Amino acid sequence: MKGRWLRAYTVLYLLFLYAPIALLPIFAFNDATIIAFPLGGFTGRWFVELGKVPALHDAALNSVFIAAMASVSATVLGMLAACASTRYEFPAKRPIMGFIMLPLVLPEIIVGVSLLVVILRAGLHLSHWSIIAGHILIVTPFSIAILSSAFASLDRSLEEAAIDLGETPWSTFRLVTLPLVMPGIISSLLIGFTISLDEFIIAFFLSGSEPTLPVYIFGQLRFPQKIPIIMALGTILVVLSILLLVTAEYFRRRGIRRAGGQDSGGFLG
Amino acid sequence: MADPIIQLENVTKRFDDFEALKGVSADIREGEFFSLLGPSGCGKTTLLRTIAGFEAPTSGQVRIAGQDMAGVPPNRRPTNMVFQSYAIFPHLDVAGNVGFGLRRSPMSAAEKARAVDEALEMVGLAGYGRRAAHALSGGQRQRVALARALVLKPRVLLLDEPLSALDKKLREQMQGELRRLQRQVGITFILVTHDQEEALIMSDRIAVMFEGQIAQMANPEMLYRRPVSRRVAEFIGVMNFLPARVTASSPAGIEVEIAGLGRATLSGDSHAEAAPGEPPSVGIRPEMLTILFGNEPETGRVAEGEVREVVYYGDMTYYEIAIDGAPGTVTVSMRNLVNRPVLRRGERTRISWDERALILFR
Repeated sequence: MKGRWLRAYTVLYLLFLYAPIALLPIFAFNDATIIAFPLGGFTGRWFVELGKVPALHDAALNSVFIAAMASVSATVLGMLAACASTRYEFPAKRPIMGFIMLPLVLPEIIVGVSLLVVILRAGLHLSHWSIIAGHILIVTPFSIAILSSAFASLDRSLEEAAIDLGETPWSTFRLVTLPLVMPGIISSLLIGFTISLDEFIIAFFLSGSEPTLPVYIFGQLRFPQKIPIIMALGTILVVLSILLLVTAEYFRRRGIRRAGGQDSGGFLG
Repeated sequence: MADPIIQLENVTKRFDDFEALKGVSADIREGEFFSLLGPSGCGKTTLLRTIAGFEAPTSGQVRIAGQDMAGVPPNRRPTNMVFQSYAIFPHLDVAGNVGFGLRRSPMSAAEKARAVDEALEMVGLAGYGRRAAHALSGGQRQRVALARALVLKPRVLLLDEPLSALDKKLREQMQGELRRLQRQVGITFILVTHDQEEALIMSDRIAVMFEGQIAQMANPEMLYRRPVSRRVAEFIGVMNFLPARVTASSPAGIEVEIAGLGRATLSGDSHAEAAPGEPPSVGIRPEMLTILFGNEPETGRVAEGEVREVVYYGDMTYYEIAIDGAPGTVTVSMRNLVNRPVLRRGERTRISWDERALILFR
């Protein structure tokens, strides 16, 4: 009895989560401009029309550029922070790490408005770089979280062994540390890329004349006849995001397996 | 005798508010199998890491092959280390691990490959070169770690509790192999262990450490027979302690009155330090006490007592015996022979002993 209720609850919950997203591909392939049931015929023309909008291409390129820059920068910063927090003890380590992780829960609209004020006050112009700066701010905590687990599961005696065998600290980093935390780095890059790609609020406040994809999509919602195209675009983005996240998770798990592998399952036979 | 390969002079190491090493001095000879033995937290691993260069001494000096090692990083010291976790690089295969240290060597690729093969053969892993690191058993990892360190032909090989992760049988096998390997390559091995039996079996010399200091440094036999303090005596093997009173003392000998054993005269040099604040006692090893079965004739001095506990090991039987007139019990070990019965709890028995086996702790 109890089991049945729980099962029904689970199904409802999953429906609530994913049914709206499932509507995206349905209407993306629906041969009608109006988003309503009953469905018309099957068509691929919205995807074809996607290819005919130059402004959308520009927005997509902007987004990819910004996501790439933000995820690479955040991963580099995340690596430094993860390395410091897992290796060294320093005064006020906990509060410092806490403040670095804070943007995870800070309302983005606050971050966006504050950044906008600061940038305008400083006399700077809104551009790709302002969005990249904002995105680095929110992506870095994710990178730190992912990379901390990669560094924490790395046996320190591996690095000591490399130094003992004649390598310098730098070549040890290149030959041992880097390959072993690489899965974490890839995972951090992919997740950072995904977060930046679909981030709207900060991008909305900080974009100048060149919108990112989400900002562009928001602008297009004013034109009802374009909604099926947006549906098609949304479908592509959802598939892309899922792909990136799955890849990131795969690399993260492989990393932990590899780095932690030496102290488990080795003593038989 | 050969010159010391490692000279430690008054080495101290302080971590924040903890003093891990309190003035350690020792000479370690070229080609010997040297063990640092002590309970966990005694500073033995810190000392090993100081020799390797992973820790810098707070004061004092470490010299290797006559050279002061102050400021010399681990990668420029003629030492190599086998880590407790083995630290096998998980992203490299066996040959990649063993050949890791040869990357900077001027040898040709073919020479390096040959050196790797030789090292693997030396540790009994010939043909394992292409094996992935994660496909190795514990014993094999241990061997790869050894080959990886030995391929560089270090002057000193440092081993940090290398056998503690192995099960009993494999550990005993590796103890023999390590000893054989050390004789074969002839380089100095320094082993850190908390297992006194392991240290006794493998070492030429042992330094027993307590609380950041060397309590005694001697060969295994001296350490066992002539411990310098009650603490060392308790740490190495088993020793029985009986309360004793010194009645006369001269350079020729010490006369003592021992609870349960009576009067005895000890030679002038058979005494050691008691634990601080402890009254004097006399120590005797379990195998130095002999049970007289039935009406076996008496040899030496004899005491009587009652069997309180019997532990049968197959080849040996260990008895806990309450000697008349002595507090507590003493442990007596007897080899099981054809004509020897195993006594039962509650039986009365005679025990023979010899003055020469006694050590006075005061």
